[in-house]
Amino acid sequence: MLPQIDRRRFLSVGALTATVPGFLSQTGHVLADDKSLANKERVLVVVQLAGGNDGLNTLVPYRDEAYYKARPKIGIPRTQSLKITDDFALHPETGELRTLYDAGELTIVTNVGYPNPNRSHFRATEIWETAYPDKPVHTGWIGRYFDAECRGIPSPMLGLQLGENPAMTFSHPKGRAVTLTNPSLFKWDDATGKAMERLNRVGPTDNPQLDFLQRTGNDTLSLSRKIQDALKDGKSGAEYAPFNFSQSLKVVAQMIAAEVPTRVYYVSLGGFDTHTTQTGRHAGLLQELSQGISSFVADLKALGHLDRTLVMTFSEFGRRVAENEQQGTDHGTAGVMFLAGGGVKAGVHGTRPDLSDLDDGDLKFQIDFRSVYAAVLKDWLGADAKKVLGIDVKPLPVIS
Amino acid sequence: MKPTVTWDAAAASHLLSRTEFSGTPMRAKQLATRPLSEVVAVMIEEAKAAVPPPKPAWVKEPWVNTERVYPETTAMERMENHRKTGERQTRERNELRCWWLDHMIRTPAPLREVMTLFWHGHFTTEAKRMFVSQALYTQNVALRTHALGNFRDLLGAVTLDAAMMMYLNIEDSDAKKPNENFARELLELFTVGIGNYTERDIKEIARALTGWTLDAPPGTPKRPLVKDAPRSFCRDGLVPTFVKEKHDAGEKTVLGKTGQFGVKEVLDIVAAHPATARFISAKLITYFGASDPRNELRDRMAAKFGQTKGDIAAVLTVLLTSPEFFAKESRGTLIKSPVHLLVGTCRLLSLDVTATPSLAQVTAAMGQELFNPPNVKGWPGGRDWISSGTLAVRYHLPEILFDGKEPAGFEPIATDRNFALPADEKARREMIARIRDFDKKRREERKKDGFKVSFEPAKVLDGAVPEKPEELVAALAARLYLVTPRPDTLTTLTEIVRNAPPVERVKLACRLILTTPEYQLA
Repeated sequence: MLPQIDRRRFLSVGALTATVPGFLSQTGHVLADDKSLANKERVLVVVQLAGGNDGLNTLVPYRDEAYYKARPKIGIPRTQSLKITDDFALHPETGELRTLYDAGELTIVTNVGYPNPNRSHFRATEIWETAYPDKPVHTGWIGRYFDAECRGIPSPMLGLQLGENPAMTFSHPKGRAVTLTNPSLFKWDDATGKAMERLNRVGPTDNPQLDFLQRTGNDTLSLSRKIQDALKDGKSGAEYAPFNFSQSLKVVAQMIAAEVPTRVYYVSLGGFDTHTTQTGRHAGLLQELSQGISSFVADLKALGHLDRTLVMTFSEFGRRVAENEQQGTDHGTAGVMFLAGGGVKAGVHGTRPDLSDLDDGDLKFQIDFRSVYAAVLKDWLGADAKKVLGIDVKPLPVIS
Repeated sequence: MKPTVTWDAAAASHLLSRTEFSGTPMRAKQLATRPLSEVVAVMIEEAKAAVPPPKPAWVKEPWVNTERVYPETTAMERMENHRKTGERQTRERNELRCWWLDHMIRTPAPLREVMTLFWHGHFTTEAKRMFVSQALYTQNVALRTHALGNFRDLLGAVTLDAAMMMYLNIEDSDAKKPNENFARELLELFTVGIGNYTERDIKEIARALTGWTLDAPPGTPKRPLVKDAPRSFCRDGLVPTFVKEKHDAGEKTVLGKTGQFGVKEVLDIVAAHPATARFISAKLITYFGASDPRNELRDRMAAKFGQTKGDIAAVLTVLLTSPEFFAKESRGTLIKSPVHLLVGTCRLLSLDVTATPSLAQVTAAMGQELFNPPNVKGWPGGRDWISSGTLAVRYHLPEILFDGKEPAGFEPIATDRNFALPADEKARREMIARIRDFDKKRREERKKDGFKVSFEPAKVLDGAVPEKPEELVAALAARLYLVTPRPDTLTTLTEIVRNAPPVERVKLACRLILTTPEYQLA
């Protein structure tokens, strides 16, 4: 907030801006009022389970003795698990996911990974986010999708992430995504806002960092009104748990319902790196995941936007099959993905992991995650999957 | 021809902006009158000799576990002790953030803190996962003690230390099934870096590191453990203690060397590995924002690292006197970290400031919470500091520093769910109410001191405030910007300043400068 006197002065400066033509017609203001940008297209919500979610305790092979042998202390007791097929049961704290599964709104992909798995959090996350297991690249798979398929859409926020650290999924030299922790931050008084817009007007220099800051600054200011508009009614069609992940999904639902020009959202749920005393923490995380997704689906259904929304979860790796001495699990390989929404082909894709045929204590993956990405790109977003992924991979039939 | 350094006031400003959070034009001019090598040598000597901040009053030697459970402890007492301990540690962690931030703002030898911050982002501990306040303090002391010392000493001091032992599960790692958490990060993030080790090396190091626990100081009478109580309820102390029976004394092969290794030998091997010298050098280059496209600077620093067996000050000297560091590509191209931005601003504007938990939250909201990096890799830095969300926080900085107001949205949307809630509807609602109440108290506790900052226009320009708007803007730009501002920036600032009453001008110009793209760069 500026002192009162300055605000009046500012307004008078505003009146003088004929000498600085066009500052009011910067992208931000145009976008904020432009209804033609309203997005009625399909959207994707990427949910990252950060830290390496334990797939075996999420989707439990409850009839496999080898599972209970490998996990005498932390295995999910058969009697408590939520059976969904002859081979699999869900974790006891994911009752809402089972309800979605029964309603035909949830698809589960099991034993999903890629060749020569990496067990570093960072490299493995990078692999999932870039969709390039063989070599490090600097672009994310959605960043490439935006570049290849969304060039004509003049939106400063094709991708929108709620969180702190920008996800590599959106990375691209021509970045089209924004990251924010809390939408309430995008409020300042008019005079300050106008002054900042003038000071952040893009004027190219020979300093690439300065140009990057100018561009991001300009985007930020143009976003602020858009975000306030989307959230001002605060209407919600479901009750959400009062926790970070659930509340983030609530914001995403509001944005989707407000038809903001965003195609892909990204939300993280962290804490899955359960090296010690895993049971309680993992249960809490899965409960948050299950309730969060369930509220989100109910919300969008009530608001009439579920048919154009797809949720997809991923995690950088699953965990070692055998528990360790501290009632936890170390970094492993293949894991589990969930897809939820109005357009999924419900069911479990992939067969039970073979715990008698391990690779040095780790699962051998069965489904390449890029076949899930290909399905999301081609069958959901209608994109050229090969162009985005750089390989021709058959889409897994997860979209109806 | 070998490039040389043009050492002048502009170069000195550049040096100060990277090594001391910021520097005034006056100090830069003074430094430029002496040779660069001498300036850097003195700066490093002063940093080494700097007096560390005094120990907070709540640090106890030996540490006492106030939530220790004994066979006779009732469930009620256990819950109460746990609650009180949680509240106390939350308060202490707040104090710890203020303690460090305040020291960074006041210290006469900022380079020591700049380096402590570097190591804090390297040998990480996340307070959200390892919340024992005293251990966070002790680790910070170790980082500061060795910040410009020897790398092997530093590595040893942070490895067998309570914070790291708890955070990356060295504590109680057992020969029967070694925990690999620390071993992996040691190679990937702390020493040789990715591409220089195998999964087998990780497993072997994990074996070598088995047998360590945290205990009371030797000679303290033993109390029995309570069966199945989590470790935090039966830990007797924070003293690293070797338990021979749990150690794997067998032969290991680590990075091509074989022997009956324990922790000492493993750390010797990784610290002396040539890849470590390169990895640490490259990370310093990035942190200090030097452009080194052909890795020549990195290799010279790594060579110095090898010759001196890991003398950090010597390696840093190579960096800070190098042509690369002073090259055009390195000037005004470093995006200030949130701590750099806040501390540098307080120093540059000569603000009268006392760090409060709210002030510490400023850097947290910008993406750099002291004592709580996002993950074990620390803060990635560079362009990752800037997204629309964090930039929006930066735009609120004037409001905080000049009006003492905390904007809305300074904390994440909500708290994390740390455990599963009961299925029973009534019990669940009660639990949620308790969590909300706890979170509300935590926020109120953090906010209760507000901001203690005051700004005096005359101090900013050392008393000489030009009357003409363009001269005032030029003087402030000279003091606050490291990059040449865009002509538009200066015109706009001048125009706005001209329309403000003279008494408001300095403050108004400062607050606007803080929100410009130029100001985010050092």
